[in-house]
Amino acid sequence: MGGYGDVQLLRDDGLRLDGRKLDESRPVSIQAGILPAADGSAIVTHGLNVAVAAVYGPMEAHPRKIQRQDRAVIDVRYNMAPFSTSDRIRPGFNRRSREISKVTAEALESVVLVERFPRSKIRVEIEILAAEAGTRCAGITAASVALADAGIPMRDMIVGVASGKIEDTVVLDLDKAEDNYGQADLPAGILPNTGEIAFLQMDGDLSPEEFDLAMEYNFKAAKEIHEIMVDALKARYDGGDN
Amino acid sequence: MSQGRSGAEQRLVTPGMTIGSLSGMRVGSGAISQNDEIIATKLGWVRESNGTVSVDPINSPYLPRSGDLVIAHVAEVRNNLWFMDINGSFQGLLPMSLAPWKVEFGQARQHMDIGDAALARVQEVDECHNVVLTMKGVGLRRLSQGAVVEVPVNHLDRIRGDNNSNLDRMKDTSDCRIIVGENGRVWIDGDDNGISWTREALAIAKQHGHKKNFDSIMKKHEGSFTRKGDA
Amino acid sequence: MVELVPNLLRQEMARLAEQDARIDGRARFEGREIILETDCLYNAEGSAKVTMGKTVVYAGVKFEIRTPWPDRPSEGSLMCGAELRPVAHRKYEPGPPSPESIELGRVVDRGIRESGCIDMNSLCIIPGEKVWGVMIDIHVLSDGGNIFDACGLAAIAALRTAVVPAERFDVGEDYTLSVNGTPIMASFTRVGGRYIYDPCEEEELGGDERIHITIGDEGHLHSLQKGLRGVFTPQEFAEIFEVAQEKCAELRKIVAEKEAN
Repeated sequence: MGGYGDVQLLRDDGLRLDGRKLDESRPVSIQAGILPAADGSAIVTHGLNVAVAAVYGPMEAHPRKIQRQDRAVIDVRYNMAPFSTSDRIRPGFNRRSREISKVTAEALESVVLVERFPRSKIRVEIEILAAEAGTRCAGITAASVALADAGIPMRDMIVGVASGKIEDTVVLDLDKAEDNYGQADLPAGILPNTGEIAFLQMDGDLSPEEFDLAMEYNFKAAKEIHEIMVDALKARYDGGDN
Repeated sequence: MSQGRSGAEQRLVTPGMTIGSLSGMRVGSGAISQNDEIIATKLGWVRESNGTVSVDPINSPYLPRSGDLVIAHVAEVRNNLWFMDINGSFQGLLPMSLAPWKVEFGQARQHMDIGDAALARVQEVDECHNVVLTMKGVGLRRLSQGAVVEVPVNHLDRIRGDNNSNLDRMKDTSDCRIIVGENGRVWIDGDDNGISWTREALAIAKQHGHKKNFDSIMKKHEGSFTRKGDA
Repeated sequence: MVELVPNLLRQEMARLAEQDARIDGRARFEGREIILETDCLYNAEGSAKVTMGKTVVYAGVKFEIRTPWPDRPSEGSLMCGAELRPVAHRKYEPGPPSPESIELGRVVDRGIRESGCIDMNSLCIIPGEKVWGVMIDIHVLSDGGNIFDACGLAAIAALRTAVVPAERFDVGEDYTLSVNGTPIMASFTRVGGRYIYDPCEEEELGGDERIHITIGDEGHLHSLQKGLRGVFTPQEFAEIFEVAQEKCAELRKIVAEKEAN
């Protein structure tokens, strides 16, 4: 979080700089099955963020030391393309992408029926093509749709959502300016059908009441985005002529 | 299609979606029970038969089961065994003793080399997903000619049709020998024209296999076949 | 990961070649349909997406301000890199850039650089102090065969739409990058004993060596690369060079038509 309130992020009419209401998400669109070489894939556009996910497997886990005798491991790579941000990123793994990859993998391992595939790994490749605050959430959403597209059994999907605080006000889905100059960011991975949480991070400053409200917004957004995920999966297969 | 996938019965579900209450129903593949409810674990069509609720997945990895007829490619050869790629998570192991030939120790490679295709059967799958293959049995052999085409595992039923009706029609039209492996590989042998027509037919199955009008699309393709010299 | 090459596929390739046929029904020198999109990446100063059959490739252009080399005080720089990340295919494994990634990036780089379509002196801001560094990053998302041509096309199309972000760097107003030419790559793979244009995935798997030819607007060669195991004759090269001229002109037209819209 950048710091406290020297930049105005809320307009006099109470709306946000881009005209959104406090509990309004940026527009989200999703398409499944967009990468023909992968076993499953999806592209998620969330505001100006573009996240692509590809799934390969299950396949034998290599190297041997990562193999689990009782279940599959999910091998996630979250990567930002060099041209995805305003200043070019040098290719390669960094600490941030390693951390996001780790917690994303653990979140997905909580919903995928990993015990069905002992000694296997399922590769999930998340590529961020355009970043504008909220890429890890768009990445989780894309990964869930790609896993479903690949036919990997899951007890639920995960929806990536985030709320935060700007000018002492809790808002849903921070954009880049709000992320840079806001006071808190609370990304979460929500299981839409069970209402459980598989992914949670937070930085900044939130009171217990603000946390509750932020999570309430997150659950509301998860429900909305889940419908778009379901439509994307159905659109790929439903009906007689598409 | 068989399995009652017609008209109003079609219901497409996504992972995590509640199919209905458990109330005495058995839970089949592609679903789990959770808090007295049946939950889909895969993207697919709900099927209910004989008190069992399951989901016919739209896409699915190949999970070998004993007895499966598979089309395998040799990936590695040792003195006394072959490791075969069977389009699954793990390679299948074909020991010398289950080969259709009398093999001297160290001579495995002379019977079947890397990249060769074979028609084999899954002998055994253990809890750790180790797969043992056999080539002892009627028709099991090295495939030394023809072409192998990959198709989605979950489209095999549609490719075969009720009582193999689709498959038989494909064979008749193309005048090819066609063998469907449970591992999503189809072997086609015949003249070039027949192979290329069958390859197209399988591509159509891949693209349209899950659709209601699949049969009519397929019939149209059958009409398009021209034997060499016909046109 | 080394992919297993089924012997039946090699056999089929040879049989098809005898009939002058291809596995996907194309003629020997027929390319797949190309879908080119430009301005498709929000944070890139120039961008393009190319879809060719099962192949999907993105390219994005970024700029930075750097100090010029002492011996070339008024010249900026151009760099083109490619990433063959594990997203693109089952066969690509994680890890440091593979030789294949590096080769791909360098072949595309040479074609664009040597065509002279970017005047390095035009990238000067203050001689001896500040010049623009132009970076084209290519990202292969789905490898369905012939990623070289897809990457070459995406790179030049992205470059030709690039806007120099001078305002953001506080050195004047944004302006369109001046690109004088459209170098285009055409690739050929030996399949069943003879060269074919624009190989698909199966043809690459069941084929042999490949040749990449980059040609500029005037029909001159700007980069050549022979890759993989195999040899060819001068006569074979003469034949595909002629085809390459034709193919490159067709692709150049696709880029021009996209820009005109």
